[in-house]
Amino acid sequence: MDEERVLYDYYLIYEKTDNAKYISHLDFVRTYNRTMRRAGLPVAFSEGFNPHPLLSFALPLSVGYTSRCELLELKLTEELAEEEIRDRLNAVIPEGIRILSAHRGKSRMKKLRFARYIVTPERVPEDIGGFMALKETVIDKKTKSGVKDTDIRPDIREIRLLSNGRMEMILSAGSDRNLKPDVVVKAMNKYIPGYDSGDCEYHRSAIYDESMNEIN
Amino acid sequence: MSTVNIDKILKRVQKPTRYSGGELNSVVKDPRDVDIRYAFVFPDTYEVGMSHLGMKILYHCLNLRPDTYCERVFAPWIDMEEEMRGANIPLFSIETRTPVREFDFVGVTLQYEMSYTNILNMLDLAGIPLLSRDRGEDAPFVNAGGPCAYNPEPLAEIFDFFTMGEGEEVIGELMDAYREWKAEGGKRIDYLKKIAKIEGIYVPCLYDVEYNKDGTLKSMTPNCPEAKPRIRKRIVENLDGIEYPDKFIVPFMDIVHDRASLEVFRGCVRGCRFCQAGMIYRPIREKSPDRLVKDAECLLASTGYEEISLSSLSTSDYTRFEELADRLLTLTEKEKVGLSLPSLRVDNFGLSLMERVQKVRKSGLTFAPEAGSQRMRDVINKNVSEEDLMRSVGLAFDGGWMTVKLYFMIGLPYETDEDIAGIARLAEKVVERYYASEKTNKRRAPSVNLSVAGFVPKPFTPFQWAGQDSMEALRRKQRLLKDEIKNRHVKYSYHQSDVSVLEGVFARGDRKLNQVLVRAFELGCKLDSWNECFSMDRWRQAFDDCGIDMDFYTRERSYDEIFPWDFVDIGVTKEFMMRENERAKAAVTTPHCRLKCSGCGAASLCADGRCSVYKEESSLRKIEELKNNG
Repeated sequence: MDEERVLYDYYLIYEKTDNAKYISHLDFVRTYNRTMRRAGLPVAFSEGFNPHPLLSFALPLSVGYTSRCELLELKLTEELAEEEIRDRLNAVIPEGIRILSAHRGKSRMKKLRFARYIVTPERVPEDIGGFMALKETVIDKKTKSGVKDTDIRPDIREIRLLSNGRMEMILSAGSDRNLKPDVVVKAMNKYIPGYDSGDCEYHRSAIYDESMNEIN
Repeated sequence: MSTVNIDKILKRVQKPTRYSGGELNSVVKDPRDVDIRYAFVFPDTYEVGMSHLGMKILYHCLNLRPDTYCERVFAPWIDMEEEMRGANIPLFSIETRTPVREFDFVGVTLQYEMSYTNILNMLDLAGIPLLSRDRGEDAPFVNAGGPCAYNPEPLAEIFDFFTMGEGEEVIGELMDAYREWKAEGGKRIDYLKKIAKIEGIYVPCLYDVEYNKDGTLKSMTPNCPEAKPRIRKRIVENLDGIEYPDKFIVPFMDIVHDRASLEVFRGCVRGCRFCQAGMIYRPIREKSPDRLVKDAECLLASTGYEEISLSSLSTSDYTRFEELADRLLTLTEKEKVGLSLPSLRVDNFGLSLMERVQKVRKSGLTFAPEAGSQRMRDVINKNVSEEDLMRSVGLAFDGGWMTVKLYFMIGLPYETDEDIAGIARLAEKVVERYYASEKTNKRRAPSVNLSVAGFVPKPFTPFQWAGQDSMEALRRKQRLLKDEIKNRHVKYSYHQSDVSVLEGVFARGDRKLNQVLVRAFELGCKLDSWNECFSMDRWRQAFDDCGIDMDFYTRERSYDEIFPWDFVDIGVTKEFMMRENERAKAAVTTPHCRLKCSGCGAASLCADGRCSVYKEESSLRKIEELKNNG
């Protein structure tokens, strides 16, 4: 509609920790929009009947998960220094959310293929060799068309037991194929004899493209 | 001093941000730095309580004091309550997760009768004895305020004290008295006697109540010199002169009213005879446009809200409404935020304004004719004609609105079946108005939604003597109305009739109802304003177990009866309400305050005995305008 409009692309890398982990994705979008208003940034709005800020998120984070690699793209109507955007947002953002860096230009979020998670269970399994060797790992998983028995094995790229009582998982991520680590833990409880993880904490620490280059 | 650990259970409950805290603009203080800790309790869920303006105001006022830390407490949803009880986690504050029983004050706001059982459930979850007399020296002072506190008697045994009226000033006096009392090293009862002397404070244990043989009230007598025979409500005369929050807490979850609210005025000039708010908040007092625009700018900057809403009983009665709307629209257009104007009256609603509001965002339109026939609207003194309504919905339809919501009541005093059928006729005329216009799009159909509530007689209204319809009578009238609606564009929804009756029982209840409440709580009643939780069977059993008859409370009352709430002086006199009830019987209307003073008595609350209508510069102009508009 408005061909004269010049917009400037930016993307942000931010973290979500502590109490902010309880904010659902939808609520986070609203929280973020209000933060932009408070910061007084020249946000570009869509031009429909109900204008909304132009932004897109790389990968929604589940309720209860923390992360230090969240990515979102936005458009401004003026060019500003990257540090200024970061600092103005951080000055008015709720506790537990922090912009780690702001970048001019488009991100590589469309290339997103994998994510790395750090899982802290109450108990780690002694050995995951057997679990990783399973041909099929069928578990009921929420999909777009309801809860279904699904083989999640193809979406597990790597699981490692870390020395500090944690597990590292590299799983499919993105709009095409996506696997969340709580589903993997559920499968571990089902398939590893005698294993009971107890309550777990989940943290997303990195996102990657097809060739495991980090997107940041 | 201790805190609760809820990390584990938060992972298992729905909507954990109801409990997790850390919202922007929530007040953070070190509890060790303050002398007084105040738990402000809203006896319903987070999303309901966080929408409440009074809580934001008092939270702000208390936290301005360096010696006080006010924190918020809400009723946990059923899943959270189960987790808390399972893990022995007591009721806690949002800000610091401190157990509520460790606070100095537990202040509850009473917004509607159906929240009463939540109060008991929350006290129980907090580990605080339910009844005032059972609380030890270390227990917090459990107190209440808000509109339902004007008839405190159904809760008199539960609360240690009540505040009548507006809290901004008196809450500071209560905190000061607490400091003095602490320094004096007195007993619990000494504090209660001390504050009984403060205007607006009611301490129920300082009064003895006697009943007549028929169960009606015989007398209510102070049993100590500190207790005043009559409790006069508090008002703040100059609203520009008091604090208003410059920041609202911005919740993470979607709450009922998630926006920057501006309080435009308190009180109402209209005098609808069913309306308690229209009486208890008198006299009318307005804030200036300057102050309101400043409040709006502060709130937008500190919250990032995308909507401003005006809060009052009848927005378009604001004397400088055009000026205010104009200045706010200039602000909202610049900031790309919406402006919502609830509580517009059908009779003074302008097209130019609506078009400007629409330019930013188009919300649904709601009108409240309240009754279907002109006679009935005269009985309730709504002072709205069919022409007014048709003009307003016509403007709305011509302006592109497709959906109109209309509020009505059934079960009103002196109502006939014809009045009820009139609701259906009026709704049909609204649909016809859509098709009669040349400007509307005939390929699309309008929808007219009727929301019909059962009338509940409230204390301090001209209808406080009226009998309330039984559930059977209300159901019959609901069916009657349903059968009368023939037009498929008219949709009809109504409130549960049993809830209306229960509401009426507690609204005009007495001290005897305290035991029923406790029994209802024991039987599992809670979250009664949520359909999925409400059980009339449990309530019936509670009344039966206590040997108390609901019909006693819903009956018609005579002018010589002493009401349990008569000791509260709201400014508006009982004589005025009697006069208004008599006029209602004759279907005679009473003009609003700006046209003619009816001597309601509220002016006596003002320092010079004259209410602000006399002082409004623009009041005369307004009268002229109204005359010119017919």
